[in-house]
Amino acid sequence: MMARTGTDIQIAICGSAGDGTIASGDIMKRAAALMGFNVIAFDVYPPEIRGFGKCISRIRISSTQAYSLKHESDILVSLNDAHAIPHVGEVRDFGAVLYDDHLVSSVPEGGHISAHIKPAQIPYGFSIRQISELATNSARSRNIVILGYMAGLFNLPREPFREIIRDKFAKKAQSVIDDNIKAFDAGVHEGQAVFKLDDVEVKRESGDDSNGSEAVMMTGNGAVVRGFMEAGIQSYFGYPITPATSIMERLAVEMPPQGGKFLQTEDEISAIAAAVGAGYTGSRAATATSGPGLALMAEMLGLGVMAEVPLVVVVSQRGGPSTGLPTKTEQSDLNLAVFGGSGDAQRIVLAPTNVEGCYRCAGMAFEIAETYQVPVILLIDLYLSNRYETVFPAEGNAFSPKPRKPLKPAKGKPYKRFELTESSVSPRALPGDAGLMHTVTGLEHNELGRPNDAIHMDMSIKRHEKLKPAVHFPGLTVSKRFGDEGPVRVGILGWGSSFGEILETMYQAQAEGIRCSAMKVVMLSPLPMESLKAFYDDCDEVLVPELNYEGQFAGLVSGALGRPVTRLNRATGTPMVVREILEEVRRLAEGEPSPLRSGNARGARS
Amino acid sequence: MGAGLHNVIIGSGSAGFGAAMTLRASDPNCRITMITMDSLPFYHRYDLPQVFRGKQDWRDLLDVPPSHYDEMGIKLRRNSCVVDVDGAKQLITLAHQENVAYDRLLVCAGGRSYVPENLTGYAGLMHGFGSFEAAMRVYRDLPKGGTAIMIGGDMIGIDLALTLLEMGYKVALITTPQTFWPHEVSADEQSHLLRALEAKGMKVYEHSRPVGVARNARRKAATCVTLEDGTEVKGNVVMSFCGLASSVEFMLGADVDIERGILVNPELRTSNDTIWAAGDVCQIWHDREKAYKFYHGWQNVRVMGELAARNMSGTHEIFDVDVENRIGVDKQGEISSTFWIH
Repeated sequence: MMARTGTDIQIAICGSAGDGTIASGDIMKRAAALMGFNVIAFDVYPPEIRGFGKCISRIRISSTQAYSLKHESDILVSLNDAHAIPHVGEVRDFGAVLYDDHLVSSVPEGGHISAHIKPAQIPYGFSIRQISELATNSARSRNIVILGYMAGLFNLPREPFREIIRDKFAKKAQSVIDDNIKAFDAGVHEGQAVFKLDDVEVKRESGDDSNGSEAVMMTGNGAVVRGFMEAGIQSYFGYPITPATSIMERLAVEMPPQGGKFLQTEDEISAIAAAVGAGYTGSRAATATSGPGLALMAEMLGLGVMAEVPLVVVVSQRGGPSTGLPTKTEQSDLNLAVFGGSGDAQRIVLAPTNVEGCYRCAGMAFEIAETYQVPVILLIDLYLSNRYETVFPAEGNAFSPKPRKPLKPAKGKPYKRFELTESSVSPRALPGDAGLMHTVTGLEHNELGRPNDAIHMDMSIKRHEKLKPAVHFPGLTVSKRFGDEGPVRVGILGWGSSFGEILETMYQAQAEGIRCSAMKVVMLSPLPMESLKAFYDDCDEVLVPELNYEGQFAGLVSGALGRPVTRLNRATGTPMVVREILEEVRRLAEGEPSPLRSGNARGARS
Repeated sequence: MGAGLHNVIIGSGSAGFGAAMTLRASDPNCRITMITMDSLPFYHRYDLPQVFRGKQDWRDLLDVPPSHYDEMGIKLRRNSCVVDVDGAKQLITLAHQENVAYDRLLVCAGGRSYVPENLTGYAGLMHGFGSFEAAMRVYRDLPKGGTAIMIGGDMIGIDLALTLLEMGYKVALITTPQTFWPHEVSADEQSHLLRALEAKGMKVYEHSRPVGVARNARRKAATCVTLEDGTEVKGNVVMSFCGLASSVEFMLGADVDIERGILVNPELRTSNDTIWAAGDVCQIWHDREKAYKFYHGWQNVRVMGELAARNMSGTHEIFDVDVENRIGVDKQGEISSTFWIH
């Protein structure tokens, strides 16, 4: 059992679009990272581009490794009561609620957040607006005042905040930086004067969790970009779509100075077509999209499989189908990623479970794609794309491309681009390689690449067989088991962003005396059958929680293994909830049949 | 619960808490809202000296766990300051500009610590002791073995002073006309009591009134009191314990009669049919004496709160439980007061 000692708090800052909610959350998490804490953070914002929709920034700060956001927050900060009131119930007993106790206009009964604070929660009302106005002659720095207040109340070091504020506003006028520092200091002064009644503690107690390298705060999308850049990405073609857009935006800034080719295409079909073309020429090429974009890309993805072209496609899932829930998370594109497209088009699908995993999978994706001459899909979701975590980047040039050994033409033999070899991987020449001219087509083809449908069975076997060794790709974690070893009562099988909640659940279940293991599966195609079978053999019951209605991963693994699983499906647009998984684990541990609930297919046994 | 009349109680001390529980017992369907400036759910103020005996977690002082309010269907609104009561519209305005409508209102706002007029300008420099936070600030700022300077010395202050002496602190008491308030003691009785306090180690200054309070340049709070004869009494914290002044300012627009406190009849009803008052905030008509009187002390206050709640629910009971308050010194030199019987 992992004992969580020292600091482990979660702050939720809630406001309206335009209140600076996300900005204050950003400063808080970066300052916390600078203080040496582990940070996990996730922002929720409205689907409207502009307007007054609700924004929430949730930040978990811990002195030991945390794996997910907590269901309950320790501190709720309200920058807009109408938006924050529904979240008061998420604050734990003896946690703190911070709010403005001087409104500018009158509200009816219940319109102020203080009306909703429960007796066991601690109210901290203060004049956020007035403090901002006194410090800066403007109410615009309310979001910075609350940071100062928290720093004062919880006795946090001030300088990391000031450093991040200076950095965040570095491109603005000096007066903007000065005003924000003044607002922060005014908040500190106010917070220090308050007698602390909550039991929220912030102190660094544990040792260094790092691997020796310096911790960096980044989002899942940011981690993908960093991994791509360290892997020497050469070509990127993309079309914007939430929640993948920030990958494109960042690469647009970072690639050109490094000599990379970046192009925003007219749509997703063009984007992947260009990426296939670039990959064909030997360029490290990628595109990024979401579920609707992947649906459009399916045909060209099939070309990549058929033509055995290495490329990387990042898919950040959101609620679907169709336009669906653009700013809400879901894990419902698994089937599309693994099976989508015409024909038997097996590809490699990697689904990292945390931000560090995004970085490492992105860093290795090109190498994997080139090794097996196949498109690699990096399947993440909005919760992972936008989630901040502290990451310890690889040391040195771990993902740099290895020097390519030029292929030499064999004398007297024609070059067979799709030669059937023992490994099923064919020698790959690039266009322009002397003496290695060849044909590449989307039609079924023979070893030379010439259209030929008589060899379809052999080529189908080749395209599938060549991928099997990918589960042993050096340095890549395709699956990993946590918790109790040997036979266990309940095993929790998970993938993607929800694995953090699964891991937290497993530790809680262990603390309750339940023999429990959890296994993350990073490689969804091909599946790591050996480790999956071993896991199943050890588990009396296997629970598969995932963020979709159908239980797509549960269906994938139970179909592959021919073994039953208990599904826990959640399609609410919000991340998985530890409490809900734990309830199911307890039920399974007790031997109770998991009820089949209508509407969300919870408890369905496949 | 919650579908009936809306009963609002201003204040969450003994009177307010007792009233809320009584209201709920008499009417399971009414809405009950308690509005208080306090940050914490109800605890007995007389327990505050316990912070010097190790009770520094406020949860140890609570009368009932926080969940009890939810279980009883009582909405507790803390950190909420009432700035106006419109008796005609039956509408309360809170400082943060929220309006709360009521059907029946009970005012149990108690009183704030009274500071002698010549010292009101120094109030900001002195430590308070009217809340858990204030008590903890005293605890934080008073070093082990340090000296607490007490101006006045009402019965709450004397209770604290005895605790401090017992726990190894020093206490300097500067007497005022409010010493031993709310007991009314003769000069002889006062002298006898002060000697008893001196016997316990208290330093008593009784012949010159305090005229000034000063702080050390390095401290935010006062550390010195100057007496009229020029004596400087030095210590680590300065507190005023000169009784209570009723908190009635927010009731000026409520269409109720106010003197020093809110005037109520023996049924604790004000001159406004929808408003009652109980506790240290009200003066009750005493028919034999033909005068409005304060009735201090937690026992009186609690009885008032419960009685007012029953009358709000339709009864017509009369407050006639005036606990006789006594103070004295026993043979062992121990001071006893009916205000300390909890």
